[in-house]
Amino acid sequence: MSDRSQLIETGKPFAFDAQRDAEFERLVKRYPTRESMILPSLWLVQEQEGWISAEAMAYIADRIGTFPSMVYEAATFYTMYNLQPKGKTHICVCRTLSCYLLGKQEIVDYLKQELGIKPGEVSADGQFSLEEVECLGHCGTAPVVQVNGEFYEDMNVAKLKELLATLK
Amino acid sequence: MAEKVKLFVNGQEVEVEAGKNLIDAFGAVGIEIPHLCYHPALGADGNCRMCLVGIEDGRPPLVPACKTKVAEGMKVQLDAEKIKKIQRDIMELELINHPIDCPICDQAGECKLQDYYMRYDGKPSRMTVKPVLKAKKMDFGCDVVHDQERCVLCARCVRFTRLVTKTGELGIVNRTDYARVNIFPGRPLNNRYALNVVDLCPVGAMTSRDFRFKQRAWFLTKSPSICQGCSKGCNIFIDHNREKYKDDVIYRFRPRLNEKVNGYFMCDEGRMTYKQENDNRLIAPQVNGREAGFAEAIEAVRRAISGATKTAVLVSPNASLEQIFSIRQFAASINAALSGYSDGYIKAGDGDDFLIQDDKSANRAAFTLLNIDDSKAGFDAAINGADLLINFQNDLGRSLAEDQLASVLANAKLIAISSAATGCTAKSAVAVPVASYSEDSGSLINCDGRLQRYEIAVAKNQPLKSLIEVTNLIGGEIANNQEARAGLQAAVAVLKDIDLEQIPAEGIALTESEVAHVAA
Repeated sequence: MSDRSQLIETGKPFAFDAQRDAEFERLVKRYPTRESMILPSLWLVQEQEGWISAEAMAYIADRIGTFPSMVYEAATFYTMYNLQPKGKTHICVCRTLSCYLLGKQEIVDYLKQELGIKPGEVSADGQFSLEEVECLGHCGTAPVVQVNGEFYEDMNVAKLKELLATLK
Repeated sequence: MAEKVKLFVNGQEVEVEAGKNLIDAFGAVGIEIPHLCYHPALGADGNCRMCLVGIEDGRPPLVPACKTKVAEGMKVQLDAEKIKKIQRDIMELELINHPIDCPICDQAGECKLQDYYMRYDGKPSRMTVKPVLKAKKMDFGCDVVHDQERCVLCARCVRFTRLVTKTGELGIVNRTDYARVNIFPGRPLNNRYALNVVDLCPVGAMTSRDFRFKQRAWFLTKSPSICQGCSKGCNIFIDHNREKYKDDVIYRFRPRLNEKVNGYFMCDEGRMTYKQENDNRLIAPQVNGREAGFAEAIEAVRRAISGATKTAVLVSPNASLEQIFSIRQFAASINAALSGYSDGYIKAGDGDDFLIQDDKSANRAAFTLLNIDDSKAGFDAAINGADLLINFQNDLGRSLAEDQLASVLANAKLIAISSAATGCTAKSAVAVPVASYSEDSGSLINCDGRLQRYEIAVAKNQPLKSLIEVTNLIGGEIANNQEARAGLQAAVAVLKDIDLEQIPAEGIALTESEVAHVAA
């Protein structure tokens, strides 16, 4: 864990695009209170922009009719929400028990060396970002790597090399 | 009276009020259950775990006292070793990242963390790792200064902004030991009750920019009083101190619980009116623009009254019931027309539905009770042809524009009897200083018709005479509050059955219909 409270302001107003707007309206009917839409809305922003800015949080609060501070709380509590821009290819390596025991560190070390960035950083050209995350729920096929949301299981350095070649 | 239940605390039978939770019910009979997050005005949150107690009836081993209602025959355990251990452990947890900066912390002396450490912990720290560092002296707006490191994350301030002011500026962001209270970027505290978070904060995380570093809490004398910032009459503590070789000075107002008036809170503007008690006071009597002795000034007033052909008397809507009554009797005795004109004290549209009122005077309801005309027409009639205006405490410059005031004073000589140095006292032929409300006692009727009493809080090195004493010296019959109260009781029907010497702490409701009836 670290301090996630420093939000980034883009200086530009945020709004859902037509697709997310429709999705918001579809989802909001599901819940007994509008506050329940905080988490789904944050996902929609992340889907649309890849990360969540201060302006986007204010937009969500406004759209739902709640306090910006409540959206701020939720967004900083859950580490799956990106509060800064990610690389074009966002690589997550699971660091929880099964993956840890089956060698996630070798994978992380290899990626650090290949990409020249540490977990939590974005490469200078904006192509890659790397992150260590908590359990991704595929412990049976550990260690697990997630690239832009897609799972790659039973990973090792050799397989990773092949994968990186297709990504670069 | 409230219903009672009998239960057992540590095996001893205790009778407490029914319907309350354990913290409030036991607190009322002097049994303390330590708690950080619970506050009666904000409800039970159950996040601090400091109030865990045992109940021997097959429930889970420990329950939070804030969320548990008292019940007949309940067996509550407060002193078992396992409970003491929990309290020690919670204190240790709270202190892991707490900077022990009590020597420079404003809260020291009235800090729950300090008190509880001494009472329930007292153990040395076992921490060997570096504490988590967070932000300090953050400007949260509304003159609230926040120190994230001192915070115990009880969320009282967060709940206050969400539940009471409904402005929701504060939130707890991050999680685990990185969690902290913060404002959303660019959205600071923006409500008129924000400084209440300073009182609510059980530790020194929320401080008031106005008060911080001014005084140590243990030097302050905390005297109960009534705020005179508006007609709500919020109950307050006047925190004041006489430093060595100096005068008694007020450092802050804090809200004082009165469920019938203000609950636990007060507004920020009212809180800052303490400054008017310290500053811009009329101290020296003045005759024709120069400083004079007190006796000389009184003599000048008496001469002016006897030499006047028509006198008008103006009274302030902030004066106490006793003062207004003695001024009314005095005005009648010299055949003077009496007015309470004070339109400038009313800020239309400024009030809200919580505490703040449009009427920035403390006792206008007493005008109705004592038949005092506060209309402009009444004032114009009173002043018409008058060659003397005796102004008791009324800041006429608030109601009249400069040229209007000048035209009034062109014909009439002005005598100002005032606690504050105002535009009026500067223009007066004679100015006589009197004690202000923090140095005097009296009764007020608030906007809801509730009669309340305030007593002398501050004793100045050179005390000024009270307004009633001065009125007496210039020819009024009434010499003190006791005589005024006796007179009030004889003259005002609605006060007949009220013992004005014994006003209860919560005040007495004079119902609207009764007040209206008397006025009619």
